[in-house]
Amino acid sequence: MIEGTALDVTMTVNGERRRAHVDARKTLADFLREDCALTGTHLGCEHGVCGACTVLVDGAAVRSCLMFAVQADGADVTTIEGIAEPDGELSTVQAAFRDAHGLQCGFCTPGFVVSVTAFLRDNPHPTDAEIREALSGNLCRCTGYQGIIKAVHLAAERVAERNAGAGAGVTA
Amino acid sequence: MTTTTPAHTAGRFVGQSVTRKEDPRLVTGHGRYVDDVTVPGMLHAAFVRSDVARGRITRLDVDAARALDGVHAVLTARELNGRPAGPMVPSMFADGTNGPSAPVRPLAADDVRFVGDPIVLVVAESRYVAEDACALVEVDYEPLTPVVDFERAAADTENLVHPELGSNVATTMATPPDAALDDALANAAHVVTQTFVQHRQTPTPMETRGVVADWNAHAGELRVWMSSQNPHEVRRTCARILGITENRVRVMQQDVGGGFGQKYFMPRDEMTVVLTSHLLGRPVKWIEDRRENLLASNHARTDRVTATIGVDGDGRIVGARVDHLEDAGAYANGGTGGTGIFVAMMFPGPYRIPRIGWSTTAVWTNTCGRGAYRGPWMMETVAREQMMDAVARTIGMDPLELRRRNVIGRDELPYATATGMVYDNVSPAETLEQAVALAGYDDFRAEQARARGEGRNLGIGIGLYIEPQTGMGALGVEAANVRVEPDGTVNVFVGSGSHGQSLETTVAQVVAEHLGVHVDDVVVHQGDTEVAPFGGGTGGSRSAPILSSAARQAALDVREKVVAIAAHMMEAAPDDLDVEDGRISVRGTPSRAITLADVARVAYATSDALPPGTQPGLEVVARFKAPPVMYSNACHVCTCNLDVDTGHVTLTRYVVSEDCGVMINPMVVEGQIAGGVVQGIGGTLYEHVVYDDEGNPLTTTFLDYLLPTAVEVPTIEYGHVETPAATPGGHKGMGEGGAIGSVPAVFNAVADALAPFGVQPTRQPLGPSEIVALLDATRD
Amino acid sequence: MKPAPFEYHAPTTIAEAVDLLARHGDEAKPLAGGQSLVPMLALRLARFEHLVDLNRVDELRGVARTNGTLRVGAMTTQATVEHDGDVARDVPLLAMATPLIGHFQIRNRGTVGGSLAHADPASEYPAVALALDARFDVASSSGTREVPAQEFFEGTWQTALGADELLVAVRFPVWEGRCGFACDEVARRHGDFALAGAIAAVELDGSSNVTRAGIALFGMGPAPVRATDAEQALVGTHPASDDDLRELGALAVRDTAPVDDVHASASYRRRVGEYLAGKTLRDAIRRAEEDIP
Repeated sequence: MIEGTALDVTMTVNGERRRAHVDARKTLADFLREDCALTGTHLGCEHGVCGACTVLVDGAAVRSCLMFAVQADGADVTTIEGIAEPDGELSTVQAAFRDAHGLQCGFCTPGFVVSVTAFLRDNPHPTDAEIREALSGNLCRCTGYQGIIKAVHLAAERVAERNAGAGAGVTA
Repeated sequence: MTTTTPAHTAGRFVGQSVTRKEDPRLVTGHGRYVDDVTVPGMLHAAFVRSDVARGRITRLDVDAARALDGVHAVLTARELNGRPAGPMVPSMFADGTNGPSAPVRPLAADDVRFVGDPIVLVVAESRYVAEDACALVEVDYEPLTPVVDFERAAADTENLVHPELGSNVATTMATPPDAALDDALANAAHVVTQTFVQHRQTPTPMETRGVVADWNAHAGELRVWMSSQNPHEVRRTCARILGITENRVRVMQQDVGGGFGQKYFMPRDEMTVVLTSHLLGRPVKWIEDRRENLLASNHARTDRVTATIGVDGDGRIVGARVDHLEDAGAYANGGTGGTGIFVAMMFPGPYRIPRIGWSTTAVWTNTCGRGAYRGPWMMETVAREQMMDAVARTIGMDPLELRRRNVIGRDELPYATATGMVYDNVSPAETLEQAVALAGYDDFRAEQARARGEGRNLGIGIGLYIEPQTGMGALGVEAANVRVEPDGTVNVFVGSGSHGQSLETTVAQVVAEHLGVHVDDVVVHQGDTEVAPFGGGTGGSRSAPILSSAARQAALDVREKVVAIAAHMMEAAPDDLDVEDGRISVRGTPSRAITLADVARVAYATSDALPPGTQPGLEVVARFKAPPVMYSNACHVCTCNLDVDTGHVTLTRYVVSEDCGVMINPMVVEGQIAGGVVQGIGGTLYEHVVYDDEGNPLTTTFLDYLLPTAVEVPTIEYGHVETPAATPGGHKGMGEGGAIGSVPAVFNAVADALAPFGVQPTRQPLGPSEIVALLDATRD
Repeated sequence: MKPAPFEYHAPTTIAEAVDLLARHGDEAKPLAGGQSLVPMLALRLARFEHLVDLNRVDELRGVARTNGTLRVGAMTTQATVEHDGDVARDVPLLAMATPLIGHFQIRNRGTVGGSLAHADPASEYPAVALALDARFDVASSSGTREVPAQEFFEGTWQTALGADELLVAVRFPVWEGRCGFACDEVARRHGDFALAGAIAAVELDGSSNVTRAGIALFGMGPAPVRATDAEQALVGTHPASDDDLRELGALAVRDTAPVDDVHASASYRRRVGEYLAGKTLRDAIRRAEEDIP
């Protein structure tokens, strides 16, 4: 059985294998920030409410401050740094946040982008009410959510347009 | 929907919603916030804080903490309190001119004065270990009766928050008796007196406070990275408290996750960490956790106003009195935190009030100190706007009509208020009309009447206000250093502390516009005191009017030199040259052109080719001194649906008509308004910092201090009126306004929905439990 | 806000898990979704020397229908329950209650068993289990036992589970026939813990009289409350008017003891609890009549 106060963990983070020896109590968020030097995942509350620490674990959006790194052993983790293309091209969601002024100070943004990426993947045609509900697990203090809601609508539209174009025989 | 009544045409960049330069790094997780900073040899700090609101420390045992593996040092008042070489107050108060301040020391020594008062600082190899050591610290207290109720603090002469100050009254001022005012009120057709209480809130930026302090004894230099709104203030403060010169201190404010006033002055805890690095000769990082942020950073908005307004038979105001009380907490951050004088000064707001008497008092209590929070004086708008509705209801007039009869019109400007403020370049009447038109006010009243017949309760509320930006003292000047590099691209260095305001973009827009380059070729640098000219940071709605004016001037000065050099190089007259997108061309013959790089090369490298008498180089530092006060204004209108069974309020529409003069970036302006509006919605309906009678805070996590989410907020609609400021660019500040007008707009909407039940709310927040209690009270 | 140190264990079978609990007693805590436990550890409001991570015990997961019962493994995530067609069809109340729990990120990790074992007075699942007379399968190193829902919830964060016991699965009876269900709550913000909430399950006969009812309240005291008096008053009748429903609502909350806290007063909770009890009954009856699940 896996057990101990400090353990070896191995996981894939943004497609790259990462390995470290960590205290059992070290959160996944701190592991990503410190051991992987991926500081894009932010700590806004450390008690699972603000959502700034959201990452994808095996595809599911979760609060990384509420998981221990050892729990993610063997998992496939995606952080904000893994959302854009390797050549730097922004994802549809990221570009939409930029174009719709969905960020100001940027601190909550990684959590929103990751949450929205998962949400639109699973709900490609959301209504305004569904978007607001999906966003309610992430807190923002700067934007009043106006630009963020617009960004999600915009991202959904752009994905739909691209897919419609693809469906009509145009290369996406 | 956006409606704009522009007073001028948008420029190539100024007036455009240019995409932000900050975004590429921020949407990809490559921002550089203070917790992202690591320095070799860095240690981590954590505080042990008092869990008693007032008491004597009878025993403090740190032996077990010191002995814990991984702990580097455990510091108490004994090690730290003797070390500050100067007062631990904002620099503008360091010479003691602001009157008695709370005695601020690094750590609590013999007694504690609020829950959260720091007693011990642990420095360890990780924050995890530091917290383990904190848990081993033993503190015993002899509890004393705390002063918690700010309405009773002044009268309590037995329990003094700061015994050395002799009284719980921090400041108090009042106008002398005014017989003419008394007469006016005595003869008024109606006089309404009401007391409004606004409750305790806290700014709650998504990034908590934090600092990395690195004192290098060998070099005699201090480097500080901090989540701050004002790097030069941090530098001055560090130099003062360490007793070293400012040129030995470098402060780096990089990306900051929001501030809203909380990070404008250098807070006490960060000063303690700097002193600790100095003592230990090691880099020390302290990142505030959310619990600390909610109970020990700064609180705000605990205000009470008793207002009296007298009106004549036509509803015209004949006189007013405002008596204001504010809770300064124990250690206010910024003198008394006090903005009481502004509450009094701005109470007339956008209305004709011929005579006014006022008093303002700030009291100490054994609670977390008061600090700046987006429009710190905004109680004047809260009380005044809520009073206007109360007066309207008393005299049987629609609140809109009452405002129409009293609002200052454009033809009355400049207008001197009874409190000595002189308004000019404002448009409260225009924004009032635009906002109510956008909101469909009259249609709403009809719909409201129909809904009432169907058992549904709708309400509409107005918040009309004028917002001052102060240009006094160091806050009145900003600098911009514009430098053209040899390849023709532009670097701009400014003394601001942008933390969400998009200054890297808006300042670039201003420089690009006035210098004649493309906005993509301008990079704005701020936050590093090594390169930034001395500035006042970002806060107080000062960046657009003051900083942009400096940037504009510097850009124009560089342009003038560019044109002079280019004219010499091209043998043309300076007046015949156009500068656009970094190309200087002869008007009418566009093929006759050179680039900014060509000019820069001459300016830096072949200075013999310069026009006679021209200095080499292509760099200007310009400073702009703002008028002592400037004003912007807006009108907020909010509609709501009130469920009387559950007390739940749904905000259905929200309209803002705002006038901030010439907008640099409309998208940024609307974003700033939106953030402020939602803080106001939070403040009216959801957010509440609560203390029990013993001074224990009950709202120390996000499970209890409730920030609005995307579900709770309506879609905000904007209208713009553009009355240029008396500054060269015509820009006015507006960063705080969203948080000012929103509170009364929301409050008044709920009050409007409650009015048919005979309920007049006067306290906030208006949560469902409070609303149901108000309704129940009318039934008993 | 960092947790205190602990020893971590990741069993892969129920046997390993209960063995660990037997060995370490109340110094050990099972870790399910962590959405409630980890914040408490981070705030240092709770501390355990041993955490037994249940996330790798596959036998604790899964939803299975057997005859008239839907068995939900304790480690089945709330997200799974939310999207599971069997749950939607067989235990509609579970499907209705789940979206009210927090936010989708929470539900991706939060589990059915974790929520039930945590027994927060304002949470939905305990009330659903109580209203439906669910049965809890509990294991320890000395064997297994079954606990009916009425005996499981003892108080705020207190259940009938011993320190060495593990909730393995919950079995919900499947209501068939002319049934209707409703779940409603009032919260400060979307996804927050309820200030008060109500669950109603009714079965009607051919004349639309109620033959069976399950009514439970949450947020109205230290544990969820089964409104048996209201159920008894309801059975055999067809409440038609608002007054009928108001009376039933009043009966439902009569013996509850809600608390005052920073979010709402006790009298508010009682008032809204009464209102919601009536409302969920009306909705459940209407759905039964209209054959809406």
